[in-house]
Order: sequence, then C-alpha cells, then structure tokens
Amino acid sequence: MKRRLAVLAALSTLVVAALASTAGTGTAATDASQAVSCSKRLKVAMITPVTGGGGFIGQEQVTWAKFAVKNLAKKTYGLNVQLVVGDTPVEKGPGEALVVAQKFIADQSVVAIIGPATSGGVASASQALAAAGLAHISPSATRTSLTKGSKLEATKFFFRVVPGDYIQGPTDANYMVDKLKADKVVLVDFQEPYSVGLADAAEAVLKRKGVSTTRLSTSVNTTDFSSLVTRVPSDADVVFFPTQQPADAQTFGTQMREQGKRAVMFGGDGANSPSAFKIPGSYVSNFAPDISGIPTSRALIAGWQKDNPSLKLGSFGPPSYLAVQVALNAIKRACTAGKGQIKDRKDVFRNVKRIRVNPSILGGTFRFSTKSNDPLNAKFYIFQIQSDGSYKLVS
Amino acid sequence: MDTFVQLTLNGLTLGSVYALIALGYSLVYGILKLLNFAHGDVFMVGSFIGFGVLQLLGGATDPVLPLWPLLIVITVSAMAGCAVLGVVIERFAYRPLRDAPRIAPLISALGVSFFLAYSMQVLFGAEQRDYDAFSLDNGKLFLSGFDIGNVRVPLLRIVIIVAAFLLMIVLWLLVTRTRTGKAMKATSYDREAAAMMGIDIDRVIVVAFVLGSALAGAAGVLFALRAPTFPAIGFLAGLKGFTAAVIGGIGSVPGAMAGGLILGFAEAYTQGYISTKWSDLLVFVILIGFMIFRPQGLFGRPDIKKV
Repeated sequence: MKRRLAVLAALSTLVVAALASTAGTGTAATDASQAVSCSKRLKVAMITPVTGGGGFIGQEQVTWAKFAVKNLAKKTYGLNVQLVVGDTPVEKGPGEALVVAQKFIADQSVVAIIGPATSGGVASASQALAAAGLAHISPSATRTSLTKGSKLEATKFFFRVVPGDYIQGPTDANYMVDKLKADKVVLVDFQEPYSVGLADAAEAVLKRKGVSTTRLSTSVNTTDFSSLVTRVPSDADVVFFPTQQPADAQTFGTQMREQGKRAVMFGGDGANSPSAFKIPGSYVSNFAPDISGIPTSRALIAGWQKDNPSLKLGSFGPPSYLAVQVALNAIKRACTAGKGQIKDRKDVFRNVKRIRVNPSILGGTFRFSTKSNDPLNAKFYIFQIQSDGSYKLVS
Repeated sequence: MDTFVQLTLNGLTLGSVYALIALGYSLVYGILKLLNFAHGDVFMVGSFIGFGVLQLLGGATDPVLPLWPLLIVITVSAMAGCAVLGVVIERFAYRPLRDAPRIAPLISALGVSFFLAYSMQVLFGAEQRDYDAFSLDNGKLFLSGFDIGNVRVPLLRIVIIVAAFLLMIVLWLLVTRTRTGKAMKATSYDREAAAMMGIDIDRVIVVAFVLGSALAGAAGVLFALRAPTFPAIGFLAGLKGFTAAVIGGIGSVPGAMAGGLILGFAEAYTQGYISTKWSDLLVFVILIGFMIFRPQGLFGRPDIKKV
C-alpha cells in the first residue's frame, strides 16, 4: 500500500512539475522580452495581405516599406534593420493576422510591427501584440472603433498613420452633397464591420444634411448584384459602395449601366484600385493623397521608382513609408536610451507617440494626436476615375 | 410592373445558371446515389478556364477573335476542361470507393471540393477575376438588346438564357432519345440489373460525370460573363445547385431545371421585394423545408422500399 502511495505521489509530483514548466514556457513565449543589442540585425515585421483579393494593397505597401528600410535605417538612424513580411489574405479572415503575429512575437529580434493592414486584422491581433509589448503601426487600418468609442477594438499599443473612417464617411458624404449636389443617395453595405461602419458614418451625415437615403445590404459573397441594382431608384444621384473588393464595384457599376441606371458610383478606400475599378466618372476616397504633387516627396518617389521600375505610383504605399519611418525613429530612440540595446520591446512602444516627422511623405508635418493614437489633422482624399481609367485627385 | 419584369429577368438569368449546376448533381446522384459536393468547385474551375482562355485570346479589350466565335471558344474550352476534370475526379476519388459505405465517397467529395478550391487559390491567388465582358465589342453585350416596357433585356442576358436552355434541351434529348441515355436510366433504376443486362456501368458513370461537369463548366463561363469569379465561389454556387436539385427532385433532369429556375426567381424576388439581406438565408430555408415536407422534391419519386 505504502509503495503504491509513493508511486502515486511521485507521479503526481511529476505531472504538477510538467504542467508548471509548460505554463512557465507559455508565459515566457508571450510576455517576456529579452534584451536585444542594437548593433545586431533587428527586425521590423509587416502584417499585410500580399496575396488574395487585397493583395494589390499589400504588395504596394511592401515595396514602400522595403524602400523606407533601405533609405532610412542605416543612413538616417544608423540601424541594421531587416523587413520581414507576414501574408494575411483577406479571404482567410481577420484571424490570420493573429496567427502571423504569434510567429513574430516568438522572434525576439522583431521589435516593431507595421500593420496589420486591415482593421479586422488589428482587432484580432492587437491583444497578443500588446501582451508581447510590441507597438503596431498600421498604414491602412481605418475602422473608427480601433481608436475611438466606448468599446475599443485595439489596445494602446496600436497606432495608425492614416485617419479613421470617422473622417472618411463624413468626407465622402460632404463631397456628395457639396460637390455632386446629391439629393438621393443609395448606400450598399456588405454585412461586415468595415462596410457597415463606413456606410453608417456616411449615412448619418447625409441624413443630417437632408439627403434622402436608401440602405441596401448584401452578403460579402455576393458577386451578381442584379437584384440590388433593380432596387436602386432611377432618380438616385449617387450609389455609395464601401466594398473591400474593387472588382465588385466594377460589376455593380456595369450592372447599373445594363439596367439603365445613371447614378454615380462612389467607393471607399477599399474600392481604390485603378486596375479593377475603372468606370469613368466614378469616385473613390483614400486615406492618402496622390503624393506626386508634393514637392518634398519627389525625391522619394524617384528613389522608389528606381527600385520598382515596372510599378505605378499608387496611394496605398506611401503611408507604409511613413509607418516604417515612425517605427525606425522609435527604435533609434529606444536604442539610445538603452545605451545600445533594447531592454524591452515596450521601450520602442513608449517612444512611438513622441515621434514627429517633418516633412512627412504625405505632406506637412506628421505627429500623433494627444487624444488618441491617430494622426493629428489627417484627412481623406477623393479621386475621380477618368476616361482612360486613371484616378485624378479632385478633393 | 417594370420592377417585376426586371426581377423576373434577373431570376431567369440566375436560375438558368443554377439549373445547369443542378443538372450535374442530379445526373451523378441519379446513377451513383452520390452527392458530389465537389461539383460547385468544378463550376469554379470552369469559370477560371474561361478566364484563362479569354486572356490567351487577347483579353476582353483586344481579342483576336470576333465576339461570337470568342464566346463559343471560351465556353467549349471550359466544358472540355471540366469534362476531363470530372473524369479524373471520378477515377481517383470515387471509383475506388464505389463499394464502400455511402459516407466514404461523401467525405471524399468534400475533400475533393477543398482540394480544388485551395489548389486554385495557391496556383492563381484568391483575388476576384473579372472577364470584363463590358469591354467586348464596345459593350455590345450589355448595351444592345430589346425592351419590355421600360426594361432593357441586354444581349448578354439573352445569350446566357438561350445557351443554358439549349444545353438543357441537348441533355434532355441525350438522356431520353439515345442508347447511352437509356443505359443511364437503366443504371439509375437498378445498377446490378443493368450490369446483368450487359450495360457497361463504368462507362455509364463516366458519361454522367462528363456531361455533368461539362454543364458545370458552361455554367461557370455564363456566370462569370456577368460577375467576377474567385476560388471560393464554388462552395456557395455548389450549395445553391444542390438546393435546386433537391427542390426539383434529386436525380430528375426536368426537376433540376425547374428547381434551378425556382431558386433563381426566389432569390431575385426576395432581394427585390423583401430584403437584400435575406436572399441567401431564404435559399437554405427552402432547402430545409423541402427536406422536411417533400424530400423527393417536385419531380422526384418517393423512395418506397418493399418490406
């Protein structure tokens, strides 16, 4: 009997010890941050969709982020930095950002994150990144509730260099009323947070301004919009179409013409893709301007174009340059304060909010608001699609 | 009235495509008693083959062929490609399991469905592919046609509806008027008895897969002429085709045609008169309703067993 008890006790001790060591390992993997030397190669990780329906966004962002690292890391900040990219195709859902984030969290040489690129990705990964002390700076996540409101979807470790939809929706709505003189607007949402949030924000302003609105809603899997188009009143002036799939905007516009509807198509930043959405006379908004008109950015454009001769300048990429610039600046400050080493990833985070970039690639001076982790005085820009399919900045 | 006419036209267009998909389900189920859940993905592959051939022929903006030969070439290519795919699926995923319990080929079908969807995603990316049919012949397919009251019936809709009905009629004639069709019918009634009467069962099954998959390929092209396609589209399209087949009576060729059209009309009228939000939900409510109250569908025979 005694022998049995002894064996049982030994086994119990072994199990408890094993569980304790497992728990310890888990905690270390997610929370603890080892000191890293700034003289060694540091990593900045980018979380963005490089493939899939949103791949055109991520590919453009990666080219600018790479260019920023090449242009600034060594020369301006004296850092040895490598950019690593984690792909989060939008079709895999927002949870993919968390999967990719976990991989970067486990790599102690990763000291800052650029992204996640999508708002859903931020909402999914922010808690884990915050637990690891990693600042994550998005060049494109615009959902309002990431930084504002009573139920925040992101942590204080999240920053963005572009404005939120609380600016995009009203900007688009004001343009429809003030410039397009719209009296009747149809708003279509896709029953997902980006689309519903943006449509809500625009609809509130339109209603306040006395515009007659009709709200239509469909599943994100819909690609044939015939019956939705049938419900668009013949005298509607504008159809606001906040999709994340630019080809959907093209299809909706084509099917409107097929049914003889004359309303002007107006897409949000998700529809902003000259290769996919190209109906002349339509509009799209975006969080970044066409930087080719900014004198201080011309040298940067030339440098980027030299590295990417086959690519056209778009508006999704330049904010990534700015996001990397903010991250490198914060890393440099953390290294200086830590006398050549980053003792904790939180040291980088603590410096992000203090960064000021002048001149910013997006024009003017960039700095964060004191009230939130959003940029101060940022705005959305509106483009009109020309007859040759190019996008012209109109506001 | 105009809205009703427009929605009817929308329903007829969509229903024609669903009917073509449903026919594939019915053909295979009628003979093998197998729910081929990979069928929706064959539809998706067909739409991609059509897209690829269109690009090879210069794309919508600068095609090397005139409009009608171009449409025929991309449709026939997709049908041929899908027919081959159907044979391969049957040979490697279903034939080895023909005598296994019925759950085994069902699971295999689901596996093939995921295999096709993810293979296409890995090979070609997950982004939407747009045929850009509006650019063909300066928008002729969209802008020309005839009017019913104030409603324009564009040429493309006429092409889709006529092509779908032609294919259905050809299939109907093939099933009812040819020796192969009679062999298919005999196999569907009693496989063992048909084999004993000298019918080559393997050949009949392969023919069913060839026909069903070719129709799915045609449906893929006809659908993608109006709306973008992407690797994940097959899942929902397949479910709708399956629902159409159940409504009509799975195993029944005229039932599949009727089921497809009913589903198309139901979707269009729901979106037009009730709510755009509820149309997908309605499809599955109809499916559940038929499964509970009329499992044999509109044209199917009740499965009565002698005890």
